[in-house]
Amino acid sequence: MAFEQIDKTLVTHDLVQDLKWDAELRAQFEADQVSVLDRYPLKPEERTAIDTGDFRKLYDMGLHPYLGGQLARLMYGNAAGPDATRAVNRLIASLTGEERPDDRTTA
Amino acid sequence: MGDIVLSVAASHAPGLAGLYSGAPEDTKAEVDKMYGTMGAEIVAADLDVLILVGNDHLANSRVLEYPDFLVGMAAEHMGPYEWFKPWLNCRDYTLQGRPEVAEALISGMARRGVLFVGRRENLRYDDNLSIPTVLCDFDANDVPVVPILMNCNVPPVPDQRQCYAVGEALGDVIRNDLPNGMRVGLFGSGGLSHEPGGKRYFFIDQDFDHWFMDMLEAGDHHKLLNEATPERMEESGAGGTAELFAWFVVLGAIGNRPCSRLGYTAYDNFKCGVGAVRWEMGS
Repeated sequence: MAFEQIDKTLVTHDLVQDLKWDAELRAQFEADQVSVLDRYPLKPEERTAIDTGDFRKLYDMGLHPYLGGQLARLMYGNAAGPDATRAVNRLIASLTGEERPDDRTTA
Repeated sequence: MGDIVLSVAASHAPGLAGLYSGAPEDTKAEVDKMYGTMGAEIVAADLDVLILVGNDHLANSRVLEYPDFLVGMAAEHMGPYEWFKPWLNCRDYTLQGRPEVAEALISGMARRGVLFVGRRENLRYDDNLSIPTVLCDFDANDVPVVPILMNCNVPPVPDQRQCYAVGEALGDVIRNDLPNGMRVGLFGSGGLSHEPGGKRYFFIDQDFDHWFMDMLEAGDHHKLLNEATPERMEESGAGGTAELFAWFVVLGAIGNRPCSRLGYTAYDNFKCGVGAVRWEMGS
């Protein structure tokens, strides 16, 4: 994804930053994702893409890939090893449409 | 009049800590050699301050208000930031800061027309500072550090020429504004090829990595500035490889010096080409 495709005004950027920086908000997100997302003025298609884990759609809307990778870790696992590997594989699967096992560690 | 007595640059892939134990033995040996050599040379240099330039990774500022250069002015730098701890899986650390050096850099760069933003509170550090710290043992050896976290991936990104020019100004500040005899080290933190968050997340462009380090060793800055463009960086890893622009800040600060690589390894699960170089600073 080229830099010029990034939409710096996308609200999802603030969501990801807040989740990284606020442990209490992150705990709420893990317990009840809907209630946290309801607080952000996301566009309807942006909200649907987060609800369904559709990173391709979010990137098409201008999500910064670095924050996309972090959103995947917030959703699927952040710890080094199997957790983060699962997050990476699910992100790639969404972006490419290919089937990927959660534990794959190669291109 | 400060003296730049040491200059190195190296990757800071988070897997170097969190995924190290599962890496092949030859990869571990190469990592140990690179970072062990840098750590020993940094200690031997008896630095008054190590200025580390690395990608901020969107850790400290919102996308809408993103500075190109952010200086850590705190008296102590503590890391890693809480959210990055599980992902990095490295030890906690506290480093000595040098607030007076940070202030001199910010003021000196302003006089030379370059905006360095500063914050007095502890910044949020991820792999940018944490990996060099724990692999080179800055904390155990009481190496004083001033971190400069830079914008490598929020458009508009300062390119190789802009970063080189910033480095030239930084070198001028070090040589003319810092106290006489101050021993300064420079550490360019980031790279080599990688694409975090992209569809080629596991891709490592070894051809690019060797091409880039070959050019450093050849010492042809004119060729580097012409060919290591943002477009070339993006081809070898969108949104990640461009953090090599931190190395251009070091290049600009020191000018043309003999450079040698300390090692290189490409292990898929690190999701990043890992290499290190050292420039000969002479007396």
